Amino acid sequence: MSSITSAPTSSSTGMADFNRTTSRWGQITMIAGLLISLAGPLYLVFFGGLDIGAAQLWIAFAAVAATFGIIWIVEPLTYYPVLGPAGMYQAFMIGNISSKLLPAALIAQTNIGAKAGSKRAELAAVVAICGAAVVHLFSLALFVGLLGTWLISVIPPSVLLVTRLYVLPAVLGAVLVQAIVSMKQPRTTVFALLVSAVVVFVVLPLVPSLAMVSTAIAVLGTIMLAWFFRGAQSPAAPAIREE
Amino acid sequence: MHQPLALQPLANDPTNIMAVANNPVLWICVAGVFGVIIIQSVIFMKAARRAAPSVDMSTQDIKTSFRSGAVSAIGPSLAVCLVAIALLGLFGAPAVLVRIGLIGSAAYEVSAASVSAGTMGAKLGDASYTQSVFAVAFFVMSIGGAMWMLATLILTPLLRKGDAKIRSVNPAAMAIVPAAALIGAFSCLGLTELPKSGTHVLSFVVSAAVMGICLLLAKRLGRSWLREWGLGFSIVFGLVAAYFAVGA
Repeated sequence: MSSITSAPTSSSTGMADFNRTTSRWGQITMIAGLLISLAGPLYLVFFGGLDIGAAQLWIAFAAVAATFGIIWIVEPLTYYPVLGPAGMYQAFMIGNISSKLLPAALIAQTNIGAKAGSKRAELAAVVAICGAAVVHLFSLALFVGLLGTWLISVIPPSVLLVTRLYVLPAVLGAVLVQAIVSMKQPRTTVFALLVSAVVVFVVLPLVPSLAMVSTAIAVLGTIMLAWFFRGAQSPAAPAIREE
Repeated sequence: MHQPLALQPLANDPTNIMAVANNPVLWICVAGVFGVIIIQSVIFMKAARRAAPSVDMSTQDIKTSFRSGAVSAIGPSLAVCLVAIALLGLFGAPAVLVRIGLIGSAAYEVSAASVSAGTMGAKLGDASYTQSVFAVAFFVMSIGGAMWMLATLILTPLLRKGDAKIRSVNPAAMAIVPAAALIGAFSCLGLTELPKSGTHVLSFVVSAAVMGICLLLAKRLGRSWLREWGLGFSIVFGLVAAYFAVGA
């Protein structure tokens, strides 16, 4: 699965038309999605009657950027060869790419016998993602929007309290194991756990004010250690492929 | 159940997250994002149908692709719904639908929210989790998602021009740096949960163990659905363990 190599656009006018339409409308819809998804929280922050200063927003944003900034750029680069340009505009709006959209695209390509990297494969991926989107929107609206909201209203308050208090460790335990297993970089994993343990159990108790940047410190420390001690380790392609 | 949209104070109790999280304006934005995705899918489907003949793709191929995509998405989609439902109590339906259900994914969004709450000296879910903390966390999750979309908007045209250089800047760096950033972030966020209480430790350990078992079984038995459902199962087991620990 090397690059899609849409290089010299020698293909028929049919594909040229497809590329033009999907890139123009892909951009328009993605910008619309971006703005609408920001509108909600912005409304809350500025008109919600809450006392939130701009500084708080910037600090919080900076902390998250220091944690995930690299991933923001690397993920689109990594997914591009599988998704193709049109699929990119779909995938980064629909979300849950590796667990849902990539399998959908790959299965569709297999089922019509399209060779990876071919034009047919590119179209099959786009159409398959459309199919996945329909199913996903429907199940979200039904199970989370309707059923979930109802569930929250009938669940005993004591249960709700427990989920609120302990859902975070319950998510992060699994996410950490998943990340470690799918990255397959034992050396980096050891560095990450060591650095994090030092940050959480030694540095933070001594200097509590660093809590704000603790994750950023751990990320930076892990990157530096992994880089300087990369040695002869030959890690697999970054992330994402879950096989 | 919906109050008028006016600017009345959202609620008096600052820890009543749901009063803010279910604001009608947020529901309208959810509908907007759903609408944009539907419109995009319709436009892309039409474009694909028009282009199909030029690459030897039959109408049947298009149908098969659509159906394969739809059917293969059922399992993963329900798995996402399970995770989303578990997070409803923390973020409310509108934020969960847009952030975890669409655009982002549970791992990133929960992490972003946790980091953002940390900058305000608060912890998600406990008494320090006020409406303001929720609003800032929701804002940061959303702008984080916006950065992903921005990167996509900027990089896709460049990559399309065959700018393979971007991808092969430095293969070693591309392999090591992102993985280190991710494992570093998730391990720090995970370990941060541990000093909070014994129940946090229990919930974390149970969840990690269930995920480990799911991944192991998925590999041993060749059941990839276990990989998709791993996160949902882990959260449910972690929460059940926490519930009994608290009740006991």
